[in-house]
Amino acid sequence: MSEPLPDERKVFLPVVQREGSEVAPTPTPPPPSSQRVAIDPITRIEGHLRIEVQIDNGRVVDAWSAGMMFRGIELLLPGRDPRDAWVFTQRICGV
Amino acid sequence: MSNRTPRLQERLTQHGVTRRQFLKFCGVMTATLALPAHYTGRIAKALLANPRPPVIWLEFQDCTGDTESFLRANQPGVDELLLDILSLDYHETIMAPAGDMTEVSLSETMTNFPGQYICVVEGSIPTAAGGIHCMIRGRTALSIAQEVCGNALATIALGTCAWDGGLAAALPNPTGAVGVRSAVPGLSTLISLPGCPANVVNLTATLVHFLTFNDWPATDSSGRPHFAYGEEIHEECERHDHYEEERFVLEWGDYGHRNGWCLFQMGCKGPETHHNCPTVKWNDGTCWPIAAGHGCVGCAESRFWDRMSPFYVPLDDD
Repeated sequence: MSEPLPDERKVFLPVVQREGSEVAPTPTPPPPSSQRVAIDPITRIEGHLRIEVQIDNGRVVDAWSAGMMFRGIELLLPGRDPRDAWVFTQRICGV
Repeated sequence: MSNRTPRLQERLTQHGVTRRQFLKFCGVMTATLALPAHYTGRIAKALLANPRPPVIWLEFQDCTGDTESFLRANQPGVDELLLDILSLDYHETIMAPAGDMTEVSLSETMTNFPGQYICVVEGSIPTAAGGIHCMIRGRTALSIAQEVCGNALATIALGTCAWDGGLAAALPNPTGAVGVRSAVPGLSTLISLPGCPANVVNLTATLVHFLTFNDWPATDSSGRPHFAYGEEIHEECERHDHYEEERFVLEWGDYGHRNGWCLFQMGCKGPETHHNCPTVKWNDGTCWPIAAGHGCVGCAESRFWDRMSPFYVPLDDD
């Protein structure tokens, strides 16, 4: 993407913390240069989701989402009695 | 940990739960725990004392089904459980913070209450490829479980996935999924409550037992409490007479099915499953699979996805 997204709102997000960092993250105004921040985990959902955003001068210019958990249910189903399929499939999500 | 005696009573009243209903709940807990009836008063007193132990709830390779079971708690409802009987400090499905702020909730509880918080684990823990198939905040589930469970007062493995790997561990188990007892061996106190999902009544009863007696219910060699997993479903099943008299459902919707006959020939795994579904039931004690006309799939038994399937092929009749 070469153009900024058409969103006029400024973004204030915590800076990505490295694993093992001792300092608890606190929200601070973003520096003028471009930075990429991660929000992981996204809460109040089912599943494990990581969102990363590229911020230029307080504007989101790019974003990525990643599912952080894999079970391989498609790989569990082949070879089984077809009448059982719904029992497995139902457990994809318990909500 | 707060000790404000009137608060639980006030909140129950605010939610229209009368003292009679609360005592009825305590009676249900007494019965579920297979205790004599005179323990009801002791349980009521312990709950009203408001000890509010901190709880950290971890979710790994889960479907959130056990959390949904927990959210169906009733009288006291989940809000009373969350806010008054327990202090649920960390739960990714319902907590307000997101991203790195969740680390604050987790580390504050672990720092302020070392060895005093209860850890509930839902979902299996993948071990293949260094455990990368479940990552939170850039850490593997395995690493988080080892740290959080290792420093807890007790760990409750809620649901079949947290007990033995559950669904993800069904053949061919592509992610090397295991339960808590394999991922974090050597925990001093690990209570396992399998079920797919686990029954909230058994989770509540386990916690009530701890709050009342400052001790955990007696468990079997695989960590399951006797009060919930000591009996076969078949022995307590309301359709047992039909089994004895060989009145079997042979086709969905046939005369037997419409009249509540035994579901053995439709693949019911009740004779080989240990769980208290026939007595505590589900959905606020209103129904359970066999009463609804579908055989037990054995969801609280080890490796049930492979050992109890095909679900519609009957057990060998012996």
